[in-house]
Amino acid sequence: MLKLSLFLRLRLSLILVISTALIKTNNWSFLFIYILIALCWCIFLKTPIKILLKLLGAELILLSLMALPLGGEKAGFLMVRSLICLLIMNSFLLSVPKYHLSIALKGLPLPKKMQEIVILTGEYLEILLLEIQHMEISAKLRSLNGNSNWLRYISAAMIGSLYLRSLDRAQRVYDAMVIRGYNGTFPLEIDNNKSENFMLIILSIMVMSLTFSSYKIWIN
Amino acid sequence: MTSLKSKLDHYIKNKIMHIPDGFISPPVAVMTTVISAGVLTLSFSKMGKDVKAPVIALTTAFIFAAQMINFPVAGGTSGHLLGATLAVVILGDPWVATISISTVLLIQALLFADGGITALGANIFNMGIVGVWVSWLLVTTIQRLLGGAKKRLPLAAGITAAISTVSAAVSCSLLLIISGTAPLNLVLPAMTGTHILIGVGEGLITGSVLRYLLATNPDLLPDDESKLDKWLVPVIGTLLVAGVLSLLASSWPDGLEKVAENLGFIHLAENVRVEVPTPFADYQISGINEQIGTSISGVLGTLICFGLAFFMTKFISRKSA
Repeated sequence: MLKLSLFLRLRLSLILVISTALIKTNNWSFLFIYILIALCWCIFLKTPIKILLKLLGAELILLSLMALPLGGEKAGFLMVRSLICLLIMNSFLLSVPKYHLSIALKGLPLPKKMQEIVILTGEYLEILLLEIQHMEISAKLRSLNGNSNWLRYISAAMIGSLYLRSLDRAQRVYDAMVIRGYNGTFPLEIDNNKSENFMLIILSIMVMSLTFSSYKIWIN
Repeated sequence: MTSLKSKLDHYIKNKIMHIPDGFISPPVAVMTTVISAGVLTLSFSKMGKDVKAPVIALTTAFIFAAQMINFPVAGGTSGHLLGATLAVVILGDPWVATISISTVLLIQALLFADGGITALGANIFNMGIVGVWVSWLLVTTIQRLLGGAKKRLPLAAGITAAISTVSAAVSCSLLLIISGTAPLNLVLPAMTGTHILIGVGEGLITGSVLRYLLATNPDLLPDDESKLDKWLVPVIGTLLVAGVLSLLASSWPDGLEKVAENLGFIHLAENVRVEVPTPFADYQISGINEQIGTSISGVLGTLICFGLAFFMTKFISRKSA
């Protein structure tokens, strides 16, 4: 079976999302083609279906809250189009081991400085989210639950101390990076596979042509 | 990067202002992407040389993590920190804050599928540009309005956070209206109404967090600001009341109208022989949402009153001299 690199899968997912989002409103026939493409993409990536359905279910509720007041066919189209985009992106995210996501960020077509900040944020984020989990466990151990549970969440001290702890942790992480040779730029190794780049260009042209033709057919 | 549970939590908590894919038209998506990319490029060039990537990354990760801590709003829904004002205050530079909030939105879109890829430019425009720059413009002004002392910063930031949240929501509504996704009379009241409540929560949390930081580590926050000139205090204060607090004005009738309604002579108000056209009748502007109309007419009315009083005083003092 065809094996695509992490970067190519991310880029293809992004291109498919952009192409889907730009389909002419109320052009159901083209939307149906993209439903098939999204399902094929999901099967190809071997996404865990159960988790995917849970996420899409939660998303559907929130999308319907936004779209249903618009009423009728328009709301239906907007919801389906957004769901396809989410199906494509979540298929990619759920098919990648969590530690590979940071690596995938290296493949983004972003300016170097921005890419560096994004990668570093991804690294720090994992530390901070663990910190939140620890703080929540500490709060439970101190019996800060029950009817006034929400007070724990609104607690400014929790967010404030999270910031102070983060500063401390980040300083240590930064010092460790400097000791390991960090000199202001992050070592980025982007795999420039020519055949994959060619495949990406061809597939991009194909899906974007499909999207643009949705406008042409609509006019006729 | 996180467990499914935290991802699901994040989905539910973050959906308030993040425009998903397919909700804005291609021209609006292109326009906002170009504007956002331009402002980001400018932000990188304006960013101080002493600001290091790890510091921005840490603050960005902190804003993201702080968004995971939710608070109840009303009717069983919950809100969370948006963080624009907090980022402006703790980073002390709107350019860096723009980069920070934009990075949060980029990561949310790419790693959490939260907020559309094609709507990323629009989301950065609403929260990273409008939210951040409204915060930056207001926070120092309000702090100076309150006397300028550092201890006034939490209150100033709290008020600013509430206003910037509503501003970002209004900007989001306008993009949806321009895209033709939703009509003005539907999306603007809904977004403004919800975000006034969320803004109150945002203000309370931002103010309280900064109060905590002020008590535990005051060196992290900016220093005292100079006081505003005496004449500017009432002007800015009045404009804030007329333009912002008027958004919360009750739509119920006043005392006389209520009595007239109860006693059945309210219709007499319509028996006017000569109808004089007024541009801001009932403190509204035709074609504009009720709350926004009240706010605009409040600001314009205040400016007109100020101008009239100013010139009358000048005229009288010149005559008496």
